[in-house]
Amino acid sequence: MGLQSLLGYPMRTILTMLGVVFGVGSVIAMLALGAGAERELLQEIGRLGIQNIIVNSVESEEPEGTNASGGRRGGMINFYGLKFKDHRQILETIPGIKKVLPVHLNKKKVWNGSRYLESTLFAVEPEYLETFGLNIELGRGLSSQDEDQLARVCIVRPGLLEELGIYENPLGFNLAIDDQQFQIVGVLGEERFQGYAQKALVSDARSSEIYVPYNTVLKRQGTRSFSGGAGSWEATDVELNQIVIEVTDLDRVLIVSKMVEALLSRNHPEKDYELIVPLEVLAQRRKTQQVFNIALVAIASISLLVGGIGIANIMLATVTERTREIGVRRALGAQRKHIIAQFLTETTTISILGGVLGILLGFGLVQILVLFTGWTAVITPSSIVIALTISVAVGISSGIYPAKRAAALDPITALRHQ
Amino acid sequence: MVPRHSWDECGLSESMVSLQGIHKYYGEVEPRLHVLKGIHLEVGKGEFLSITGTSGSGKSTLLNLLGCLDIPTEGSYFLGGRDVSKQTDNELSRIRNEDIGFIFQSFQLIPQLTVLENVQVPLLYGEHSISEREDYCRGILDSVGLSHRLTHQPSQLSGGECQRVAIARSLVNDPLLLLADEPTGNLDSKTGDEVLELMDELHGQGRAIIMITHDLEVARRSERQVKIKDGLIMEEQK
Ligand SMILES: Nc1ncnc2c1ncn2[C@@H]1O[C@H](COP(=O)(O)OP(=O)(O)OP(=O)(O)O)[C@@H](O)[C@H]1O
Ligand SMILES: [Mg+2]
Repeated sequence: MGLQSLLGYPMRTILTMLGVVFGVGSVIAMLALGAGAERELLQEIGRLGIQNIIVNSVESEEPEGTNASGGRRGGMINFYGLKFKDHRQILETIPGIKKVLPVHLNKKKVWNGSRYLESTLFAVEPEYLETFGLNIELGRGLSSQDEDQLARVCIVRPGLLEELGIYENPLGFNLAIDDQQFQIVGVLGEERFQGYAQKALVSDARSSEIYVPYNTVLKRQGTRSFSGGAGSWEATDVELNQIVIEVTDLDRVLIVSKMVEALLSRNHPEKDYELIVPLEVLAQRRKTQQVFNIALVAIASISLLVGGIGIANIMLATVTERTREIGVRRALGAQRKHIIAQFLTETTTISILGGVLGILLGFGLVQILVLFTGWTAVITPSSIVIALTISVAVGISSGIYPAKRAAALDPITALRHQ
Repeated sequence: MVPRHSWDECGLSESMVSLQGIHKYYGEVEPRLHVLKGIHLEVGKGEFLSITGTSGSGKSTLLNLLGCLDIPTEGSYFLGGRDVSKQTDNELSRIRNEDIGFIFQSFQLIPQLTVLENVQVPLLYGEHSISEREDYCRGILDSVGLSHRLTHQPSQLSGGECQRVAIARSLVNDPLLLLADEPTGNLDSKTGDEVLELMDELHGQGRAIIMITHDLEVARRSERQVKIKDGLIMEEQK
């Protein structure tokens, strides 16, 4: 019944609502951005496989290999990183492991006639591609036959073909790497590793990496790579740049990672490796994201607070304006609780209406943000529930003081009010 | 809809209203305004009483006390055998809602509401379902001759129509006691007559009516006339 007064002053009602509309709108937008970021995170880190553990070689602060054990004139060899021994020991001593994949990397110039591209050669076992969801679009993947025959074959990215000007049927094309020819047998899809996954897999930003059979590289070229000019040269000798461990059981990922860590720290007191556990990273990032989300929503809530104060303010003015009406209602038998209920109904209606409009505004805001920034945003059902709950809470809390003021009026005084 | 009254069952006292030694002061600090100075008044069931007195003599003050809108500074008021001073705020609200029909000097209709909604207001605070509420109020408005004005707002009505809406509203809970503060005060004599006929009819239905007026002609239409003078009640002889 009290709602007539809202309809009686539509303009005022809308203005009163406005604060809640914007507040709820921004809460919805913030929650959507938060959920979007979380989804992106999940996709990004999910690419690494949460059942996997990745160990990368890193150059330690004081490389042990500076003692030029190579012994050639004017040169130094930098030894560091993971060893074949680590790979073997992990495989043999740690239980609950499905597979352990060794990876060796080489920076190489890849030639097509006179055109060349600085690229990274990934010497990997056949399962590597599948493990990280690298789909073959054209041709075939690597096989165990390639490994056995030390075949000079490679899998490339479409980007590399473009850079080197290989446009027509790339399958069967021979790329010159150093003094050897590698035949293209497969081409990957366009999709690249993003953000964290890119870093964790040491894939370069231009995604020009080339995948070749592990044995072909190790048996034919060894692990040493040289750089430098005629007079002096430098070399690095990293046996394995990466070891990828797949754990059989998701529950055992953390235990296995502890065991791997223990094993490696025993073998490498200088700590020239880094252990990446996607499952842990995900959990950490999620936590950070949640804190961030809470902060975002807290900021958005300030406008809701302002909206609530706006409602309270107008309601107080309304109480004064409607003193006589309150007196009449009291004289006709309204108890204090009826008057309180009337005003609370009004404020709650205002704020719920505002909340609904705010949700619509939020949808619009999200569309616009996504359009202009390219961020991912997801409006979840729970964010709508949260927004509506907050609206009701704002309505009740902003109405309670004006309502009590109204109910406290003495009927006679209220009736005499001009 | 069968309104029930707390005094239906009790039947303790012959008189419906009993005022004993009522004093009313206004103001907190001395000199306080002493308006009612020891009022004794008994009004029986179904009696039609008129109160006259000069302006400022305390007529409205007395009616507000009778209507449980205000409390006396001193003295006791029994309504249907119940001591009003012993009632809680909620109980007073219920008494105003169910037992008393109040017709105000200045109508006191709620401007944003339509005629039909205004008449329904007292029913909002009792236990009535919405559908019976509307039909019932249409019936009452029909009986005061306003069935063609249901969806109008008070600002669109004449003074006499407003007064009839106010009367209709005072009747919705079928009270046994009607309190009317100058029901003809704002009306011309013809419309005033119509309203008085309505009052006679209501009296004929067995309701007690206490009516304030400054017009002796009007007062003469009641069964019993009293006058407030110097804060005291004097009976007028017919
Ligand atoms: N709430 C109040 N506070 C202070 N004084 C009041 C209050 N209500 C009434 N009075 C005073 O009490 C006296 C009686 O007022 P009341 O309204 O009862 O007179 P009345 O007989 O109804 O007069 P009228 O015929 O003009 O309506 C007046 O002097 C008035 O000024
Ligand atoms: Mg008066």
